[in-house]
Amino acid sequence: MSLRARIRDGDAEAFEALFEEMERPVFSHAFRLTGDWSAAEDVLSLTFLEAWRLRYRIDADGGSLRPWVLGIATNVARNLRRAARRYDDALARMPRGHPVPDFSDEIVGRIDAAEQLAAIRQAFGSLRRQEQEVFALCVWSGLDHAEAAQALGVAVGTVRSRLSRARKKLEKLAAERQRDSGWRQVKGDHDSVVRSVGEESR
Amino acid sequence: MNKGEREALAGLLPFEAEPHLPNDRRRLLKEFVMSEIRTSAGRPRRRPLRRPLRPALLASALALGVAAAVGVPAFLSGGTPAYAVSRNADGTLTITIDQAKDPKPLEATLRGMGVNAVVDYIPMGKRCSPQPRSTSFLSRQEAQHPADGRPFLIWPSDEPGFRIDPAAVKPGQTAVLEFNVSADETIAAIWANISRGPVAPCTLVDSDEAPLGPPSGWDD
Repeated sequence: MSLRARIRDGDAEAFEALFEEMERPVFSHAFRLTGDWSAAEDVLSLTFLEAWRLRYRIDADGGSLRPWVLGIATNVARNLRRAARRYDDALARMPRGHPVPDFSDEIVGRIDAAEQLAAIRQAFGSLRRQEQEVFALCVWSGLDHAEAAQALGVAVGTVRSRLSRARKKLEKLAAERQRDSGWRQVKGDHDSVVRSVGEESR
Repeated sequence: MNKGEREALAGLLPFEAEPHLPNDRRRLLKEFVMSEIRTSAGRPRRRPLRRPLRPALLASALALGVAAAVGVPAFLSGGTPAYAVSRNADGTLTITIDQAKDPKPLEATLRGMGVNAVVDYIPMGKRCSPQPRSTSFLSRQEAQHPADGRPFLIWPSDEPGFRIDPAAVKPGQTAVLEFNVSADETIAAIWANISRGPVAPCTLVDSDEAPLGPPSGWDD
């Protein structure tokens, strides 16, 4: 019996295997959408509680469950408060971590500078929510258009048009960054992906 | 989307480091999620549990040929059935429990229907000792139906209660059903397995662990 069929039938061992396979992509996706370590941990846990609740919707036949799980994660991240209300009892039992040291060690230490991460967040934040979700699924999580459409429950054409809009906005920001590059090389140590209009006019 | 297109887009927002949890944190959250789904059976705890089928509804079901109810409900003093067991057209049994007070009548009903079962009700904050209660539980593969891979415990999506496949329990084997019981005597969760050999009686002990079944990793 396929992993899909086993999970649909309530096989906890099969679900644990799905957790093992998808924990890292879901956490990354959640962190990139929320920009918040602690929120990403909540999204991770709630995504799998939701996946278990909604397991009856899985078709026995089909490929990877990755689009389905990332779709749930996207919905949870979008409606974190609503999802948290559904599982408030469970969240009260969720073991709490120490998000700040984790953040420093695992993220900031591995990229050039915290400034770069902040700049990415800023550029990402300039996109509309629907564009952010499509960008995160297709570009960062590696889904193709059809998989992203399945994850979001929208048409493939909608995915394409949202991605296209995101691309135009980000290219515009990148062009602004290039215009500023001379300034940054003189200015100092850290590269940044984009800068605000306010900085540009200084 | 081809690779070049993805790379071009990724270059616009170069999130090069993949954020990931430290291993110990990942393990802790996995244990949390697995414990929740095992103890709550995936039901949000605030959702009221559906009531078992009343005799009148069972009669309707019979008339429709949906299910053949042959369970003998044990009635509480007020005349409400504490539980019901119905046999479905495909041979599986659906167990609904309205008030989880005494597991023995349900156990006797299941035995009367040909399932050699041990049933225990486990209140919140307790668990059975010893765990595991058998050294010869079947693996999931061993318990599933050879023809269609159906597991012993089948989670129905659109009906109340729990469904088991009695054909999975072979002669000489014992089905072990542990039910987690909320303070209002409704069922919060089930754990089920089949043992080849003897099953230790359940002695309830205080516990802050998952209330049902052996601890995770017991059969590693």
